Amino acid sequence: MESTIPSILTQAVFLAPAGAGLLAWMLGRVWRKCAEALALLGSAAALAISAAMIGPVIRGQVLTGWGRELRVDSLSALLILLISAVAFPAALFAIRYMRHRRLHDAKGRDITEARLPAFYGLFLLFLSTMLWGCATNNIVMLYVAVEATTIASGLLVAFYWDRRALEAGYKYLMLLTVGITFALFACVLLYASAARYLPGVSAMLISELRGVAGLIPRSVAIFVVAFFIVGFGTKAGIAPFHPWLPDAHAEAPSPISALLSGVMIKMAAYALARTVTIFFPAYPVLTVFVVLLGAFTMLLGGVMALAQHDLKRLLAYSSVSQMGYVVMGLGFGTYLGVYGGLFHLLNHAAAKALLFLSVGAVIYATSARSMTELGGLGRRMPVTAACFFVGAFSISGMPPFAGFMSKLTIFLAGADEEMWAAVGIGVFTSLLTLVVVFRAGQAVFWGKPKSSGAPWEEAREAPASLLVAMVALAGVCVLFGVYPKLAYPLLNQAALAVAGVVAGH
Amino acid sequence: MPYNVRLIETLSMVMIITSVAAVESHHLKRAAAAYGLQALLICGLILAFAVGNQALYVWALVALITKAVLTPWFIMRYISKTGEQEVRPIVGFGPSVGVVSVILFSFYKLTHTYVHVLAPTPESVAGVFRTNLAVALTVFVLGLYAILSRRDAIKTVIGLCLLENAVHLSLVSLAPNMRETALVGIATEVVVTVYLLLYVISGIREKLGTTDTFELAELHW
Repeated sequence: MESTIPSILTQAVFLAPAGAGLLAWMLGRVWRKCAEALALLGSAAALAISAAMIGPVIRGQVLTGWGRELRVDSLSALLILLISAVAFPAALFAIRYMRHRRLHDAKGRDITEARLPAFYGLFLLFLSTMLWGCATNNIVMLYVAVEATTIASGLLVAFYWDRRALEAGYKYLMLLTVGITFALFACVLLYASAARYLPGVSAMLISELRGVAGLIPRSVAIFVVAFFIVGFGTKAGIAPFHPWLPDAHAEAPSPISALLSGVMIKMAAYALARTVTIFFPAYPVLTVFVVLLGAFTMLLGGVMALAQHDLKRLLAYSSVSQMGYVVMGLGFGTYLGVYGGLFHLLNHAAAKALLFLSVGAVIYATSARSMTELGGLGRRMPVTAACFFVGAFSISGMPPFAGFMSKLTIFLAGADEEMWAAVGIGVFTSLLTLVVVFRAGQAVFWGKPKSSGAPWEEAREAPASLLVAMVALAGVCVLFGVYPKLAYPLLNQAALAVAGVVAGH
Repeated sequence: MPYNVRLIETLSMVMIITSVAAVESHHLKRAAAAYGLQALLICGLILAFAVGNQALYVWALVALITKAVLTPWFIMRYISKTGEQEVRPIVGFGPSVGVVSVILFSFYKLTHTYVHVLAPTPESVAGVFRTNLAVALTVFVLGLYAILSRRDAIKTVIGLCLLENAVHLSLVSLAPNMRETALVGIATEVVVTVYLLLYVISGIREKLGTTDTFELAELHW
């Protein structure tokens, strides 16, 4: 039986970056460097606090805060650690990167310095809301947190304030808010139907709700599940609710793209895992539906990525595709499937953040991001090229990189369930992904620039702080590929937590 | 039953009419005013239900501040800076009123007759709560219709507000005892989202010189 212990860490993990964010916004106006330092400090604090949670959680304990309002079990801890582990390199990357591209107002004045404090303030608030969403145990607050991530990141997506960024920002705010309203409706329906069986506040607590999911009237349960899938699925980039994703992930500044694609959509997948899986025991047919949804998402994302010339749009579509694997793994509902899904969630976060940062380094050096323009950068930017290919091989599931291990686990889980079509689509999409990302890497780093006289003829390797952030993430991709057992203690507990719910324990 | 059924049904009917006006008026200021009136009626409805449940007074107050004061104020402030004429929607006025009437009538009939499909508890199917859920769902569909069929970005924002109002109105039947923190969280977020959307739309207006969402076609698949 799991034991719960009250812990201040559950609040500190998201209050620390929130506080740093507010400070950065206020003090940064006076002194820019202060905002940058606070961004590093705030995300480092979140990383340290989340690392401190891992010990007790691996031993099977559950941390609680504010009564039962906050609850960090192994699944929450996995996501919290992942989010802060991607945010810290992204913050480090942002410092040099964001100074590089200058912003001008209508009169042509340089307003970069004036905008940066708001950037770091929102960056930290965005981080804080994602962490809060993973720590909360209240179903309505889960909705509030997911919507809060949209609010905090909306202006980050539109940060460059040009035509494309504004279009992406408008679509991002509008589509995600409409989508997430469905999730609110689902939350409220679930709460209302559970209130008959659970006294008072506990009808809002996710940890209690799973016990009564089977008692809810069938017709209401169908609507609840459908609305959760539309609501959180929109945020997670599940097809056919994904059209906001390529726009937002491509037009946002690269460190923000790394956060959006690396962890924000994972947090929405976490919300799906928390809510939809509680209905699996009573409605086993749901698992088949979720697997189908995953297969459709991965195939569509893969095919769309094939048609892109813009590097960031290509990576964004590939994120849609990789989310399909995560959803499929969770959809199998078995221990092995959930383990694979969560492992892929972790590996994709590291690899996709790495890829977006590598493309960011290319943009830093050349101000270009189209495969039809770039070429021959491998000699000039060897570290960036190496990092790009590590990320590329990892997401396409090549050994010895981390993505191979997680995809293999998902395929084995599918074979266990004898869902051969799903496994087939998974393997095919993996090959497709390999073609897509390898072709992109080849176009950018091999050969010669496609047009002459361009600025990339004197392109140089990105500055050290950018490279450190990238190499750290590349290290993760290699480490979990060579020693997949390193992640076992935490993933095992987290997979047991989800699969336990599915099995009806 | 302590509820004033006549009052609740009248308010619901007027609310649906104001929602249609907010969607259909091509004059943006009038549309925003109709939206403000609709939000006031929601507060009135929540108050009418509060007779049976004291906790709803808080919800009515929160709704009044966020929906009937702040949101229309933001929208009005934005319109005064730009223009009052809407970018023509894809569906013309006459046909649109026809479409809306059909949608509203059939959806209201449908939800009112089969509300038990979506009602989680026996209480929420009974009496006025049935009307409440049916009205909420009907306005929800109307909001979706507005977002899908309007070209003017401001109109899509008003559609979004209708959508949110509908879900919030359904809380009366579904979750009357929800905690204040949750209510305030839900209501504040919508206001902040509307504010940010208008901010981004004003940026779009600056760069493109229009608020026609069809002009936002730089990024496509």
